[in-house]
Amino acid sequence: MAEEMAANGGTYDCIVIGSGNGGLGAAAQLAAKGVKVLLLEQHNVPGGFASSFVRGRFEFETAMHLIADLGSPTDKGGVRVFLEDELGIFLDWVEIPEAFRMIVTDPGEEMDVTLRYGVQDYIEGIEKAVPGSRESITSYIELCMEVVDALTYLGESRGNPDRKVLTSKYGNFLKTAPYSVDRVAAALKVPEKAQAIFHAPWVYLGPPTSRLNFTVFAGMMAKLISFGGYIPRHRSHEFTSALEARIRELGGETRFNTRAEQVLVESGRVVGVVTSRGERIATKHVVANVASGLVYNRLISPASEVPEIAYRESNARRFAASALTVYLGLDAPPEKLGLQEYSYFVYANTDTDDVYESFGRLAAPKGQATACLNNALPEASPPGTTILSLTTLCRPEAWAEVKPQDYVKVKNESALGLIDHFEKATGTRVRDHIEEVEVATPATYARYTGVHGGAIYGYEPDSWDSLIPRMMRMNEEKHIQGLEFAGGYAFRCHGYSSSFMSGQVAGLLTYASLLEEGD
Amino acid sequence: MKVSIRGSIIDLLAFRGLPGKREKRFARASAGPLPVHPVNELAERIHPSKLHLVVTEIRDETKTTRTFRLAPSPGSDTRELPCFRAGQYLSLKASFDGSRISRPYSISSAPFEASGPDGCYEITIRRVEGGFYTDHIWGTWEVGTQVESSGPVGLFYHEPLRDSRKIIGLAGGSGVTPFRSMAREIVLGDLDAELLLIYGSSDEEDILFHGELGELESRSAGKVRVVHVLSCEVVSLEGCEQGLITADLIRRHADVENDSFFVCGPEMMYRFLEGEIAKLELPRKRVRREVWGELTDVTSRSDFPADAVGKRFQMKVKMAGVTSEIPARATETVLVAMERANLASPSLCRSGECGFCRSLLLGGDVFIAPESDDRRAADEKHGYIHPCSAYPLSDLEIETPGEA
Repeated sequence: MAEEMAANGGTYDCIVIGSGNGGLGAAAQLAAKGVKVLLLEQHNVPGGFASSFVRGRFEFETAMHLIADLGSPTDKGGVRVFLEDELGIFLDWVEIPEAFRMIVTDPGEEMDVTLRYGVQDYIEGIEKAVPGSRESITSYIELCMEVVDALTYLGESRGNPDRKVLTSKYGNFLKTAPYSVDRVAAALKVPEKAQAIFHAPWVYLGPPTSRLNFTVFAGMMAKLISFGGYIPRHRSHEFTSALEARIRELGGETRFNTRAEQVLVESGRVVGVVTSRGERIATKHVVANVASGLVYNRLISPASEVPEIAYRESNARRFAASALTVYLGLDAPPEKLGLQEYSYFVYANTDTDDVYESFGRLAAPKGQATACLNNALPEASPPGTTILSLTTLCRPEAWAEVKPQDYVKVKNESALGLIDHFEKATGTRVRDHIEEVEVATPATYARYTGVHGGAIYGYEPDSWDSLIPRMMRMNEEKHIQGLEFAGGYAFRCHGYSSSFMSGQVAGLLTYASLLEEGD
Repeated sequence: MKVSIRGSIIDLLAFRGLPGKREKRFARASAGPLPVHPVNELAERIHPSKLHLVVTEIRDETKTTRTFRLAPSPGSDTRELPCFRAGQYLSLKASFDGSRISRPYSISSAPFEASGPDGCYEITIRRVEGGFYTDHIWGTWEVGTQVESSGPVGLFYHEPLRDSRKIIGLAGGSGVTPFRSMAREIVLGDLDAELLLIYGSSDEEDILFHGELGELESRSAGKVRVVHVLSCEVVSLEGCEQGLITADLIRRHADVENDSFFVCGPEMMYRFLEGEIAKLELPRKRVRREVWGELTDVTSRSDFPADAVGKRFQMKVKMAGVTSEIPARATETVLVAMERANLASPSLCRSGECGFCRSLLLGGDVFIAPESDDRRAADEKHGYIHPCSAYPLSDLEIETPGEA
């Protein structure tokens, strides 16, 4: 059988399914190790959500607001080390100017705070808004930093940490890992208003802070506060294209418009992949940049190779929210529109449960993350114009009942709701300047990536399904030999950096198995 | 600093208990299959990758134009026609005479006519003299002919978030087809807009949908108005304008200060209107142009390298792991060379805009007209081209994804 497959679609050491950040990271890592790797992508461009598209004289970023774990050339974060030192990819990165401006709009709860990254700036910014919060915020940031140090130690120990070191040096990391963001912030006696400001980026991870696991949030915040945020000069497409080009340079192969339809398994072991072009390709290793639920339910063939527990595991987990994004190309410059910041969080109130609940309805979401690209990158669009992207999360259930004939009306109403909230919060008027507009809905995200319900992240990182429990159970949850996961659904959880770096881990794990097999 | 949430010991126990807690969740969960999410079904209904259609009616409109009515092909997996927005097009796919081609045609019927079990699309095609595809259509299409198509695509539609409620349509020849769709949807369907259509034809005989547009106008309670502009010397049609669509003519009929302009017509008309529209000093946000397909004669451009005219080249095309060597001409796009060689490209717009034919240029030079260069910045940097808007200037080597 293996010979038949070889005759039809060739043989590879590893096939990577999906060229999202995780798939690209995995394929690049494998190619850098000299592994014969094939990357399959169903769409005609790499990147999954990390992409760009052109409308008129504007090139819009599809998804990225910032990358948290890049760091400067002299103080490199994980992503920069992987890209530059391991893969030899040097990109033109732009540092975003301020952390964010957070505006809360409900009467009686109004807030308007702008923060800058950098430990001191961050503390001072919150102290200014909430006098008396300095001490608790300082401890809170220290704790976040300890979490990152602990995660670094875990990474370096390759899953075999010394228990003594963990308990003596990283006790706070262990003790906070089982809890939500809210529980930890309350224990540190961070004043509520200061919590609300500190937690403003929670929408980058998804669940409300009452459920969002502290470890994952702390990891992101510590990196943002110490490294700041970066974007590639020519949108995510520059990042993903550079990776794809490097994979080819390193001897890997990439195929677009080619969907993996089956992962062939025999006696619990990967033996090949069948593509939408009908090729049967022999391989003993697959890295899936796909949700485990989709791999087990749609890809593994025959289905009898999927153990019952694998279905239970994926059914127990909760797909993260999808999103609604309004991409605006405006025919006036940011200063004329009154847009001064790059990154805005606009919330109706600071109750993240209430805001999250509003993501389950079609109209009037109570939160949005909005980016004005030109305020980080003035030449992002022609002189005298502005690119503004407004994003809200939405639970796909809200879109389940939408009929095709009502689709445009529904999406435009939602888009107007977002624009309206943004304009009222910032006192700007952008709607008269719309030269180009595109609205992406859960259906759009589902269309381009095939992801379940258009979920833009991974599984929601509640404390029981966060990075640490995922890591602790990694071996037990491995059901098919030769199959690794990369991307937001993998053990590192989601986020632009995490999903990319998960590819490195999946690549290295696959490489280690290949060495063991002596291939 | 020592942090504790519920007490140091409890916290550490909670940490150790994480895997157990996780296992419990799994044990409680269902072992059933993961159904396809309704949002994924919605996406597939709005944007099916392919449509299998059948010709159900053919009407002659003028001496050179015909309307073809298309419906889902019975027994195929196309069971309904996706919704679309008035002004969008279909990219038809066809294989004949050893070629695999695609052609975009605006849908001339209205969105409301596509819904329901008897839903249909209409496309109205002008026969091009010596045209490879239109000759084939005129020669072979009859009621019952199977037609393969993309779903409705394109960006030439009225968007309330962006456009004025009042549309000024500037149309030339068969470029009137998307405006027929808009007018029908305004009068008989669900488009909340007004349309002033300034429609240039060479003579009265040449006017498409003449009677129908008049009827729509009279039933529209002022929401649709049509101004015919005839370029022939002698004009008999009552109430029409004679000459070309000039800035002055537009000013006489339209509110140029507020309304949104939509332009669709042949390349010649665009070239002329370019100058006229410039005189109106409109902000870019109020002018939208439908893409016009390949350039009629790339060699007539002053920026096209003169020494390439008439040259023939060889092209190596790597598609899905297979490499073919095919001939190419400087005067035809890379896409056309591929189509002549029966290499299927996922092209839709044939105008540089949609990016679906995006391919990697591994070697050689191409000419790309700046106005049809809609590549992403990083694509330009990494040597990607859109074959539908790239003309070979040397022997080429490309890698192209092929139809999905």
